[in-house]
Amino acid sequence: MNHKFQEVDLMKRTLTSVLVASAMITLAAAPATAAVTDKDIENDAKSTGDVLSWGLGTQGQRYSPLAKVNTKTIKDLVPVWSFSFGGEKQRGQESQPVIHNGKMFVTGSYSRMFALDAKSGKKLWQYEHRLPDGIMPCCDVVNRGAALYDNLVIFATLDAQLVALDQDTGKVVWKEKIDEYSAGYSATAAPIIAKGMVLTGVSGGEFGVLGRVEARDAKTGKMIWVRPTVEGHMGTKDGKDNGISGTTNATWPGDLWKTGGAATWLGGTYDPETGLAYFGTGNPAPWNSALRPGDNLYSCSTVAIDVTTGKIVWHFQGTPNDGWDYDGVNEFITYKSKDGKHLGGKADRNGFFYVLDAKTGKFQRGFPFVKKITWATGLDAETGRPKFDPANRPGDPAKSADGKKGTSVFSAPSFLGGKNQMPMAYSPDTGYFYVPANEWGMEIWNEPVSYKKGAAYLGAGFTIKTLDPKEIGGDYIGAMRAIDPATGKIVWEVKNNAPLWGGVLTTKGGLVFWGTPEGFLKAADAKTGKEVWSFQTGSGVVAPPISWEQDGEQYIGVASGWGGAVPLWGGDVAKKVNYLNQGGSMWVFKLHKSGK
Amino acid sequence: MFLPCLFTALVVFVVVSPASTFAAMADDPLQSPQWTDIRDRYLGADKVVFDPRVAVSGPKIAEDSMNVPVSVKISGLVDVRRVLVVADLNPIVKVLEFSSKGALPSLHFRMKLQQGSPVRAMAQTGDGVWHVGGIWIDASGGGCTAPSVGRSAAGWTETLGQVQSRVWQNETQSRVKLNIMHPMDTGLAPGIPAFYIERLSLQDAAGREWMTLDTFEPVSENPVFSFDFSGPPPAGLTLVGRDNNGNRINARVVK
Repeated sequence: MNHKFQEVDLMKRTLTSVLVASAMITLAAAPATAAVTDKDIENDAKSTGDVLSWGLGTQGQRYSPLAKVNTKTIKDLVPVWSFSFGGEKQRGQESQPVIHNGKMFVTGSYSRMFALDAKSGKKLWQYEHRLPDGIMPCCDVVNRGAALYDNLVIFATLDAQLVALDQDTGKVVWKEKIDEYSAGYSATAAPIIAKGMVLTGVSGGEFGVLGRVEARDAKTGKMIWVRPTVEGHMGTKDGKDNGISGTTNATWPGDLWKTGGAATWLGGTYDPETGLAYFGTGNPAPWNSALRPGDNLYSCSTVAIDVTTGKIVWHFQGTPNDGWDYDGVNEFITYKSKDGKHLGGKADRNGFFYVLDAKTGKFQRGFPFVKKITWATGLDAETGRPKFDPANRPGDPAKSADGKKGTSVFSAPSFLGGKNQMPMAYSPDTGYFYVPANEWGMEIWNEPVSYKKGAAYLGAGFTIKTLDPKEIGGDYIGAMRAIDPATGKIVWEVKNNAPLWGGVLTTKGGLVFWGTPEGFLKAADAKTGKEVWSFQTGSGVVAPPISWEQDGEQYIGVASGWGGAVPLWGGDVAKKVNYLNQGGSMWVFKLHKSGK
Repeated sequence: MFLPCLFTALVVFVVVSPASTFAAMADDPLQSPQWTDIRDRYLGADKVVFDPRVAVSGPKIAEDSMNVPVSVKISGLVDVRRVLVVADLNPIVKVLEFSSKGALPSLHFRMKLQQGSPVRAMAQTGDGVWHVGGIWIDASGGGCTAPSVGRSAAGWTETLGQVQSRVWQNETQSRVKLNIMHPMDTGLAPGIPAFYIERLSLQDAAGREWMTLDTFEPVSENPVFSFDFSGPPPAGLTLVGRDNNGNRINARVVK
């Protein structure tokens, strides 16, 4: 260099440095468009011009009050545009888009976000999160969608961060670290908004993480409360202690609760009428249930949290002392029953459908929604607690001859569940839930295990098996089922060769939409199950469809791109899916109008 | 992020047509085929002069296309409001922009070059006039489309945003040299998204800004910047900034 300087300080100084995760980053840009308010979000299920939340309303009913596309007109439903997510990154696309002010925000695999003109599919901007190499998502590099609030679009990333982008520019407005990705944490669920707060869970149940629900100020990212979903851990509110979840050691022995799992990896729902957020919780860690006698609260449960206090109001546990990886993460969807009760429905991974009181969690009824369940013989009529079949619990390895492998059992459903991450829908018109179910089983056995930070914490071996066609009425795995929550009856079903892995949309137009791994977006009559329409999207559909209205026309949209947990863990199922090709695109449809 | 790449490809054709652009290109001491486009894109209709008081220095040939040392030094020009640095033939043209708000109007840094290119500093004075200086730097190329070195090192998240410094001082001036750990990915290497520091500010203990920088993808990996001050560096000097993923940088320069 040209300047002559006398070196006065030869020491190379290392400065304190840093990624300050907490401070808000101010941007000069003011929102150019109408900001999303709490009122807009609470009204999302009824408003037709937007889709502001995962679930088309935070209750998660996935019901659109639009009826222009209906059983009569659907024959004219044709594609409007398709958008490629591009890159070398064609993995599972499980995202539900959100729509506001004519803009669509859809997330892609590998923590990417695309902003598109909802009518034309024209790309407005794209955000790609820089991921470390060491991320540990258990089940593909998916993302399930974003939340909208104010001028922000907020989503979670595979390295367990929460990023809020300006809807107009795609610039980062705030960013918060949920936890250390190197300890096994990740995040794939869509956040939800309740009372100005953004509510999120954590992923990483296979690595002994601590499950919890967190509420942050949606505008700034500032933490408001944390509620652990494992008994014994202290919650916080405004940085102060806010009571321990449950009673320490009441349902967990020794120290195992400290790495107890119960990951809230599918996010939650929120009902403004009860003021409660309902979060499902995953399996307790490790898988080997012999190590942790007791119910292991609040694993494999739905917990209802008062969003104002950050405390658990009630919980319902589907699989106490789980030994089969029957995560209870599945969405709890509140609804008004025909006889005027405020209830909620949940199709659990363990194969049972539960109907609970939305305010109190009181068990109303429960029934199988799959045809083969081996681990329990039924539910207690009063409490809903399963009647275990002791012979079907994988054996304790400590009691085996060499101490290395416990007795292996054949269990159904498989650990991928009677239903997995794909959200069901509820129609107030028919009163039915539309459940994307799967019929499969597994061989499962336990092995010794100890916890090591950042390492898989399973203590089990397993392989998925298809079921005998004679037992389930045909050679299939997937089945779209209409279920009457009042009677437990399966009203109709549409079978599918491959396992169903995408969510469901139902509409005032009397239709049910869902996608298949074979690549079809399908529609059936909501009352009868008669298939009335299908379209081949070019790759497997593992995402939930949406519907909205713009300039007087009804649109249907769905992301396409095969992936998720099935190709990674599928075992014996591979023969039904291993020919499927990957993709990564957004498809949008509307009714065809003939030229004038 | 791919836009600049396309844009540069397209304008090659545009440059040839209008007669006026020939004159403008003839004006350019560096005889760059991109000059008229760069002028229209970044300077608009403002008055432009080629001015030797805006001095850019660097190697004739870049030894390492991913770390090309460049110095911008402006002397004898008063009321400089902001300075843009561009590399005409890079797929991403804009390298950085800085405003000396108390620091001397000079900056020393390292950048990536995709091929031999003019590297220019364009300084706008209070009267709106742009004063442009620059040099040709030859390079074997590839600096923008190769993955960052940090990409192959698993631990980059542990050092991300860490800052090291050195301070020199003589009777009249001081220099603060900062090295910031950051991959500075351009987004042009397949499968690696753009990931770069986009804003830096040097502030003193009272919060007064002495220098602000908007930085872009072509700035080198683990960027090195040197800033010059008249007299000793301000007390409590702190580097504050953020990248395009919202990661923050906050490091106190200890004298």
